[in-house]
Amino acid sequence: MTPRATPLAILALVLSIPALPALAATEPGEYLDRRAEIWNLFFRMMTVAFTIGTVVSGTIVWLCLRFRESNPKAAPTRYEEAGEW
Amino acid sequence: MSGHSNFPEWVYIGVVVALLCWVGAEAWNVERIVEHIPEDAELIKVTGQQWFWTFEHEDGTKRIGELRVEAGKAYRFEITSKDVIHSFNIHDYVVLLDAVPGRVNTVWFAPMEAGEHDIQCREYCGLIHYNMRGKLIVEEAA
Repeated sequence: MTPRATPLAILALVLSIPALPALAATEPGEYLDRRAEIWNLFFRMMTVAFTIGTVVSGTIVWLCLRFRESNPKAAPTRYEEAGEW
Repeated sequence: MSGHSNFPEWVYIGVVVALLCWVGAEAWNVERIVEHIPEDAELIKVTGQQWFWTFEHEDGTKRIGELRVEAGKAYRFEITSKDVIHSFNIHDYVVLLDAVPGRVNTVWFAPMEAGEHDIQCREYCGLIHYNMRGKLIVEEAA
């Protein structure tokens, strides 16, 4: 996809979202326990949220520790070595 | 920057976009299922006004502050308001929808067991909002 087409594709996707209900099934719904459906969705979303939160915060903590100046493994970048930055 | 690989960034972007798509699809699907009203759902007109709820059944029966339904049946609420914005909430059944003047909002539920549950206004609607309550009484199927 060309760089110019990407925003257009995103825009098309966003604009098509309001049309989604029209694609939903038209036959009558079945009895269900909305408590179970809604709380199950909530727990699934929380599982995703906490997993992502753990990965992102873990990555940040690792980055901060690994690339701190006082780390014995720390080495100057080639730009720092060359005195360019 | 020459010699620099963008591969990890693209993997990161791909994972984030895939997760967002999954979250959106899951939420949309559950919303679609939950909002899909059964054909035989009985209509109950719910009207909010400062500071009480009125329930009108299909047979014309009207009750104030007390909603009587049967277990095992589906009910469709058509919710509106006579004055300001209220919000109709049956906490135990995760029913929550605004009552807006001049507009009819629809939500449905199917109680499974007999029992008593609280109904409460969830949109601040004035001085006695805190006491704009009702009682849902689910009776055994006749």
